[in-house]
Amino acid sequence: MATVTIQNLTYAPTHQAPVLRDLTATFSGGRFSLLTGPSGSGKTTLLRFIAGLTPLPTTAQITFDGQTLADQQPTQRSRTVALLFQEPSTQFTMNTVANELRFALENQQVAPADMAAKITAALDFVGIANLRDRSLMQLSGGEQQKVALAIIVAMDSDVILLDEPFASIDPATRQTLLTRLVQLCHDRNKTIILADHDLSGYAKWVDHLTVLHNGQLTTLSATATQERLSAFTPERLQLTHVQLPDATTKSCLQGHQFGLTRNDRVLIRPQDLPLLTHKLTLITGPNGSGKSTFFRALVRLGTYQGTLTYQGKDIHRLRRRAYARHVSLMFQAATAQFLNVTVAEELALSQKYGNTTYFTPDRIQAALDQLNLTGRDQQIIYSLSSGQQKKLQLLCMLIMAPDVLLLDEPLKGLDLQSVQAALELLTTTQRALHLTLVMISHQLGGLNDYVDYHLALTHQQFVYQEATS
Amino acid sequence: MNPTLKLAVIVLIALEVSFTQVWAVNVALIVIGLIILLVAHIRLRTLLWLTVVPLFFASALVWSLMLRGNATSHFLIVLFTRMFVYVYLGATFTQTTAPLELTRSLEQNAKLPSKFAYGFLAAFNLFPKIRAEVATVRAAALMRGQVLHVWSPQLYFKVILTAMTWSEQLADAMTSHGYVEGAPRTYALTIPLKPRDWVYFTGSLVLVQVGLFLGLP
Repeated sequence: MATVTIQNLTYAPTHQAPVLRDLTATFSGGRFSLLTGPSGSGKTTLLRFIAGLTPLPTTAQITFDGQTLADQQPTQRSRTVALLFQEPSTQFTMNTVANELRFALENQQVAPADMAAKITAALDFVGIANLRDRSLMQLSGGEQQKVALAIIVAMDSDVILLDEPFASIDPATRQTLLTRLVQLCHDRNKTIILADHDLSGYAKWVDHLTVLHNGQLTTLSATATQERLSAFTPERLQLTHVQLPDATTKSCLQGHQFGLTRNDRVLIRPQDLPLLTHKLTLITGPNGSGKSTFFRALVRLGTYQGTLTYQGKDIHRLRRRAYARHVSLMFQAATAQFLNVTVAEELALSQKYGNTTYFTPDRIQAALDQLNLTGRDQQIIYSLSSGQQKKLQLLCMLIMAPDVLLLDEPLKGLDLQSVQAALELLTTTQRALHLTLVMISHQLGGLNDYVDYHLALTHQQFVYQEATS
Repeated sequence: MNPTLKLAVIVLIALEVSFTQVWAVNVALIVIGLIILLVAHIRLRTLLWLTVVPLFFASALVWSLMLRGNATSHFLIVLFTRMFVYVYLGATFTQTTAPLELTRSLEQNAKLPSKFAYGFLAAFNLFPKIRAEVATVRAAALMRGQVLHVWSPQLYFKVILTAMTWSEQLADAMTSHGYVEGAPRTYALTIPLKPRDWVYFTGSLVLVQVGLFLGLP
């Protein structure tokens, strides 16, 4: 049991507004604290400071029962605090589950003779003894998160931090992990701080909700907390204009008995799937269900079962170079798209090879104005904020004007005004050039007026949806 | 055999072979390498690759030296066989040693700082990821109308940028599981350094010396 005290923590990323402002707070020992706040409010930043992954500014102090991490023996720090990451696959060093557990225990200078028992106990506690000798990279996101929790259990860390640990895992696994966490808190007196923006399912466990807003932490009263938790419904999708495709609707990209598996896990069971021409189709589905993998398969960056055809021809029989200009992907990570260094160079590249002459210098300038990107021509792409990168990426891909543009989370991290501007630009271009757009998005606000079809991926199947009323 | 000593003996032999010209020793090393590989149940396809690729380069080298130059046939045979010695010796190491075993051995037997030992392991584990990343960058370029070849600097610029992100992620992963640079650690598995390993080590080196001494003109 350790109480976490944060004093005067101010943090501003280089050239940006402060994320944390003179933050002072206490998380009492042996409690389960739920930390929430809008995306980009600094939850990850705060947890990384507490975990000691980011060095503290000199004016700030974080203590565990009065002791800072620096006061402790290096090998004891992981007994004090441990962090479970949002992205499951990036938190391991070794190849197998057992080796990663050994690595963590070696770091704590546990005697080799005691390791086997500790490893077995930790795996049993989380209920994954069968994963012991599996390769970490072969596990699903949910299994990886369970392994990460088992490691924290083996390390016996007093304070357990979790940064949106359920972002890419299914509800059943979420429930298992949550139950284990509560058990750790109640039976073993661990202090747990969990950051999440999806507040469903916590009402039973959490008395006081902690909200991070404008760089400050506030703790809600018990009643306010219960109100907020019970009122929480995940952002709902309202699509009133979508329709079901009928037999006459043309499709240019088509899957025939198309199926996807990753690491022995079935993502999509074989099915026939048309993607409709000259329309905007929205794809939704839970995290980790295989939406991005589907897009990568469509641009020949991954294996699949069955066949995919573009205008009646198997995409693997088309020339790679020509196909890439007809069917393009706007990657989820904006930086994956860029090939140059400055904004102007990147725009020039798209203009040089673009499929149409629609984007004249004037139109590009207008689009830059619309997206609030003017005057940044000479700026280095990697120094843009992630929202600006996303908008530039969209513009670059629209200038290319491929017949089919697949957009993987094009609105991620954009503020409301930028979302509007981006959607505006997207649809005007689409209408002018008759593009086929297929979009994956978790950001659902503002989409209603633009989406023609809604394709939902649930239970390993894509199904076109009717309008919601 | 102990991984560190195995690595050392192979590097030493390769060095010696580079500076001496005894083709009989080269042939003997090739045969021994081949036997070790077969005993280790190397896949036939891998063995074929390991033979065809050096065969191409060795033949090309020998052929060009035959056409222009006044190298003796003895020298040509030495050059030809030397190429295979390098490849087969290297393969005997990689085919019989798990990277994690070498990492542990370097950390425990060679007293290499754990930072370097795990850095080596991470680099090794990164190879498949780098291949996937190269494929992504090339696809992204094709979508922008640009063809990136294996020799395009842009390809490497992008891959290096990504690798930098990975290295930060890896550092965080290690820290979050309790790794502290320079701090003492215990070892879950001890890699033994037996007298027998030293016997193999010195024995093989002595044999090569004898061979080279006898074979020198």
